[in-house]
Amino acid sequence: MKKRVLLIGGRNKAKSLAMSLLGQGYKVTAVNETHEDCMKLAEIKGLTVIHGDGTKPFILDEAGAAECDISIALTSKDEDNLVASELCKKKFHVGKTVSLVSDPQKTEFFYKMGIDSVVCAISAITSIIEQQAFIDEMTNIISIGTGRVQIVEVHIPNESPVAGKKLWEITLSKDVIVGCILRGDSTLIPRGDTRILAGDILVVISSNGQEIAAVKELTGR
Amino acid sequence: MKLFETKKSNEYTVIIGCGRLGANLANTLSDSGRNVLIMDQDPDSFRRLSSGYGGLSVVGDGTDLDTLREARIDDATVVVAVTNNDNTNIMVAQIARDIFRVERVIARLYDPERECVYREFNIDTICPAVLSAKEIDKFLGGFNKPEQRREEMRA
Repeated sequence: MKKRVLLIGGRNKAKSLAMSLLGQGYKVTAVNETHEDCMKLAEIKGLTVIHGDGTKPFILDEAGAAECDISIALTSKDEDNLVASELCKKKFHVGKTVSLVSDPQKTEFFYKMGIDSVVCAISAITSIIEQQAFIDEMTNIISIGTGRVQIVEVHIPNESPVAGKKLWEITLSKDVIVGCILRGDSTLIPRGDTRILAGDILVVISSNGQEIAAVKELTGR
Repeated sequence: MKLFETKKSNEYTVIIGCGRLGANLANTLSDSGRNVLIMDQDPDSFRRLSSGYGGLSVVGDGTDLDTLREARIDDATVVVAVTNNDNTNIMVAQIARDIFRVERVIARLYDPERECVYREFNIDTICPAVLSAKEIDKFLGGFNKPEQRREEMRA
């Protein structure tokens, strides 16, 4: 059985998501309020397009919301995304509801209202920009638990204040642990008496907001 | 301390949306001596308030948490969401109820189909179309049932 995905609103986001999801073999339906956007979306092969307001129950019904496994609300207005997702969840019993939110303060509120996954474009973009602009030493950063936990790869340069020190000699915030050390071809699971050397790559796990401070401490920049 | 108590015991109504309905309600509540705050994004909308209106009026977005906090929505006993957008009213009502724990939350919804859904969500909703239909039906009922009335008289 192909999984069914419902996209509500959004112009370019809906378009690129639809293409990517169709490519992965999902069955995709897009609902859009503007006729012009619908025409654009209809150019995508294999995509079902419904012209109408995705916050109205009968439009969602027509789009087959009841048979959908995932709904994704992509409109630019928070209230429309909230109502569309709530209708999908509570009236049409969609398994997983995903919603975009523009006001970062409302992320928690959306979760409280029963939406399964809330994506805040502004916080996501801010954190990416922060990483790109301020930390050259970080090559990789993985966010899990909706951004509360970060796994970061840190390269230890020669001038680092922690190079040559044992793990228990350095003071890191208690929200941060060094999970693994990559040294040449070998992988070490560190203990307190493991010595950090210049050229090591540390895999650091930190809870939200602490990773930048930890990286600064480890690299000395 | 006493001042605090008297303040708390007073009713404080926050109205979001200063359209015909919002302004009318604000005027009525203000006239009956209650504390009212009305909020709208458009400063021009406050011209609908009567000259005797004694409450507060705030220009701001009723779905913005900081603006609502500034309006002391957490002290409100009643929040009424009457903007011209159903989805905005729904969101305001849910924010008031679930974030600020307001006891009484009322939302006006134009679309009757959405109204039935949100009634299940525990929000008091008012739907003008349904109310008008009922009223009109009541008028028509008066003319449509002369036979019934005659039968009643015979009995």
